[in-house]
Amino acid sequence: MSKNKIKNIFVNGSINPLFIAESIAKHSSKTQIGGHSIFLGQVRKDELQGNHVFAIEYTAYDDLALEKMHLIREEIFEKYPLSCMHVYHSLGRVHSGEICLFVFTSSAHRKPAIDACSELVERLKAELPIWGKEIFENDTHQWKENK
Amino acid sequence: MEINIITFGKIAEFISPQRISLSDLSDTDALKAYLERKFPQLSSIKYLIALDKHVIQVNSVIKNNSTVAIMPPFSGG
Repeated sequence: MSKNKIKNIFVNGSINPLFIAESIAKHSSKTQIGGHSIFLGQVRKDELQGNHVFAIEYTAYDDLALEKMHLIREEIFEKYPLSCMHVYHSLGRVHSGEICLFVFTSSAHRKPAIDACSELVERLKAELPIWGKEIFENDTHQWKENK
Repeated sequence: MEINIITFGKIAEFISPQRISLSDLSDTDALKAYLERKFPQLSSIKYLIALDKHVIQVNSVIKNNSTVAIMPPFSGG
């Protein structure tokens, strides 16, 4: 596995559930794995003064985000005995109800996979230079803030 | 010297990417003060600066042809 190459995590538009299913299926040959943990982020149809979020448009400082993600990946691999780690984040427009983030970790036993997955989600939300613009049904927008 | 400014998120709505000439500025603290004078909206926003793809925490020297990214709080995921 190429742990040391900078990988692209960005997907144009939403993440197709079929892609997620295929990613899971690809691991059937890795028989040392005993547990997978998956986090999926979905665009929420928030309401603001009667207007609903129609989509989120994501932009990123790509180079910096990929370099930072590379460091996070290395640190998580150091910290947990993982067999696999996959991260995908949308760029561009993702409609409410669609998937915008896919984090997938695997290990021999469940605990490292679960803990690594959770730590990855927290770290990438806090540390990757990505911005979400919430577009409302009436064409107004506001910039998303992470809680 | 000349530097490239790149902007993201809501900051990109009022500062477009541009190349600027600086004569009497040499570090990021001075650049921040300059930008906040030129773009008053910036002073009311929390933002981070990346100098040549390194997020800076302390005042840093800017070199000719540097790229300075002005970034609002991240909101990925």
